[in-house]
Amino acid sequence: MLINFDTPWLLSGLLLMMVPLLRTGIKSQAYPWLAILPKDTLSSSLSVLIRIIGMAAIGLLILGLSGVYLKEQRIERIGQGAHIVLLLDRSNSMDTTFAGKAPMNEQEESKSAAARRLLTEFIDKRSHDLMGIAEFSTAPLFVMPLTENKQALHAAIAATATPALAYTHISKGLAMALSFFDEQPTTGTRIIVLVSDGAAAIDSDSEQALRTLIKEQHIRLYWVFLRTSNSPGIHEKPENSRDDNAQALPEKYLHLFFSSLNVPYQVYEAESPEGLQSAIDDIDKLENRPLHYFERLPKQDLSGLCYQWASLMIALLLVLKLCEVNRS
Amino acid sequence: MLAKRECFKDFRFWCLTLALVALVMLFLFPKVKQSGPVYQMTFIVDITRSMNTEDYRYNGEMISRLEYVKMTLRELLSSLPCQSKVGLGVFTERRSSLLFQPIEVCSGFNELDAAIAALDWQSAWAADSRIAHGLLNTLDMLKDDQETRLIFISDGHEAPPLNSRYGPDFSTVKDKIKGLIVGVGGLEPKPIPKFDQQGKRVGFYGADDVPHRSTFGESDLNPESIQGYDARNAPFGSEAAAGSEHLSRLYEPYLKQLAAETGLGYQRLTETAAFNQALQSEALALNKDIWIDRRWQFASMALLALLLVFI
Repeated sequence: MLINFDTPWLLSGLLLMMVPLLRTGIKSQAYPWLAILPKDTLSSSLSVLIRIIGMAAIGLLILGLSGVYLKEQRIERIGQGAHIVLLLDRSNSMDTTFAGKAPMNEQEESKSAAARRLLTEFIDKRSHDLMGIAEFSTAPLFVMPLTENKQALHAAIAATATPALAYTHISKGLAMALSFFDEQPTTGTRIIVLVSDGAAAIDSDSEQALRTLIKEQHIRLYWVFLRTSNSPGIHEKPENSRDDNAQALPEKYLHLFFSSLNVPYQVYEAESPEGLQSAIDDIDKLENRPLHYFERLPKQDLSGLCYQWASLMIALLLVLKLCEVNRS
Repeated sequence: MLAKRECFKDFRFWCLTLALVALVMLFLFPKVKQSGPVYQMTFIVDITRSMNTEDYRYNGEMISRLEYVKMTLRELLSSLPCQSKVGLGVFTERRSSLLFQPIEVCSGFNELDAAIAALDWQSAWAADSRIAHGLLNTLDMLKDDQETRLIFISDGHEAPPLNSRYGPDFSTVKDKIKGLIVGVGGLEPKPIPKFDQQGKRVGFYGADDVPHRSTFGESDLNPESIQGYDARNAPFGSEAAAGSEHLSRLYEPYLKQLAAETGLGYQRLTETAAFNQALQSEALALNKDIWIDRRWQFASMALLALLLVFI
C-alpha cells in the first residue's frame, strides 16, 4: 500500500460520515399538509447533493486529521553511480604527516586530516552513490551501512578526527568491507576504496577466504596508499633478496595479492595531499558508468490536500445555504 | 433581502462559516513554534569481553549484556523526538573510539539502527578494560561539545584489576559535560564466555585465565599485611593471587563513584522503559524551538462545526 496514516485509529471517525444520511442539514419548517406540496425535483436533488457534499467534507477532514500520506517511494532510474565502501585505516601512523612527523603547525596536515577533507568532498560529489564506511586498526569497526544519507556519512568522516587506534590488520578490515555487500542486490558497480598508509601481511587462511569473497561479490578495488616518504613503496626491490618477503614489505605483497585477484584493481601511491586529491579525482572519473539506481521520493503529506478539498466542500455548502429559500 | 436575513438567523449558516474560517486559519497558520525538549547524545558502549556475560533475560532466554544494550538502544531510537541527534562510539582498552558524530534520529534512523546492531565485541582493538581511563579519555575527547550528553555504558569490570594507587585524576574534566554512566549486568557473579580466534565459543573463562590483581607499580596495600612482601622483588607479596576476576558482575559502587568524580549521573540498566525515562529526563534535554504541526486543532474545530450543521 502506498497510502499510509500517521494515526490510523482516527479513521474510525469516518463513521461520522453517516450523520448526513440521518439528518438533512436543512432547517425544517412547519407546513400544514405535506401532501399538497408540489413535487419539486430540483429541491429534492439539492437535498441529496447537500448530503453528499457534507459527507465528503466530513470524510476529507477525518482523512486529514488521521495524517494521510504517500509512502516514501523508490523509482528506478538509470544514471551514474556505484555502491562504494570506504575502508579507512585508523592506525596510529595515520595521525602523522606525509613526512612521517607529527603535524607541528597549521600548514602541516596529517594524513588522516587530508583524507578526511578530500573524502568529505568526494562524498558530496557522488550524488547517486550508496556509500558505506568501515574502519580498521587491529580489529574492524562497522561504522555506517551503505546509505544515501550524506549527513550521516559526513558525521562518520568527521569522527575520524578523534585520535587513531592501534595497529593495522588489513584482512579483517577487508572482510568487514566485503560484508557490506552481503544483503545488497547486485545492481551497478561494487567498489571498495581502501585508504591506508601501510599494510600488514595477510595470513594464508584469510587470503583464501578473501580471494573467493572478492570474486563472488564482483568487487572493483581501489587502494589509495598514503605513502610516508622513505617508507618502502609497492614496487620496492630490496638489494638483499632475503628481505623480499611479506613481513618486510607488506605493502608490496598486498599489492601483489590484489593484482592476482583478477578483479579490476587500481592502486594509487599518494605521497602528498595533492597526490591523494588526484587519486580521488581519478576514482570519481572512472566510476561514472551507467548504473541502475533508485531515486528516493520522500514521504508526501496528503492531509493538506484533504483540507483544501474539505474547504471547497464547505464553501459549496455555504453557497447552497445562501440560496435557501425561507418563507415563514 | 429578506431571505438572506432569514438565513442569518439559522445557526447552520454560522456553523458553516465557522468551519470555513477555521480552515482558512489552518492554511494561514499551519505550524506553531514551540520550545520542546530534544536530545543530543553520544553513546559510548563498552565492548570488552565481560560484556559477553549472559545475565539478562529476554523472552525466556539469557542474552549477553552487549546484546541487551543493543536492543535497548535500538528501542530508544524510535522513542526519541525528531531533531534529536545520536552519536556512537565504542570503549575498550583505555580509550574510546567515536564511530560517528551525532546524527539526526528521524532522517538517519536506518543508519543508526544498523550501526548499533553491528556493535560487536570482536571490534575491540585490545583486550584490556581500563574503564576509569577510558572514561577520562572519552570526557576529554567530548569536553568541547557543550550540547552533547555522554552516555557511557559499561559493567564496571576493570581488567586487569585496578590498583587504587594509580586511578586517573578527573579534575580537569569534572562537570565539563553532562551525561550518565549506565551500569549493565546483574549483581550476581556470572562466568564470562570465552571465544577462540575465529570467534567460536569455547566455554567460559576459568580462574587461571585472568590476572586476579594488579601487579603494576607499587602495591596499594599495607606492606605489613602482604604475605612475603619484599619492597624490590615482591611488592605484591610471594603468594599467587586467588580471586574471582574470571566471574563478572555489575560493579555498581565503583561506577557510582566514577559518576560522582566526573559529575555524571548514574543509572542502572534494568528494563527498557525505565532506561528511556532516565535518558529523556529534563537534566539531559536541550530546549530547542521546533515547529509543531497544529493543523489538527483547526481541522477538528471545522469538523465539529460541520457536524453541528447536520444535527
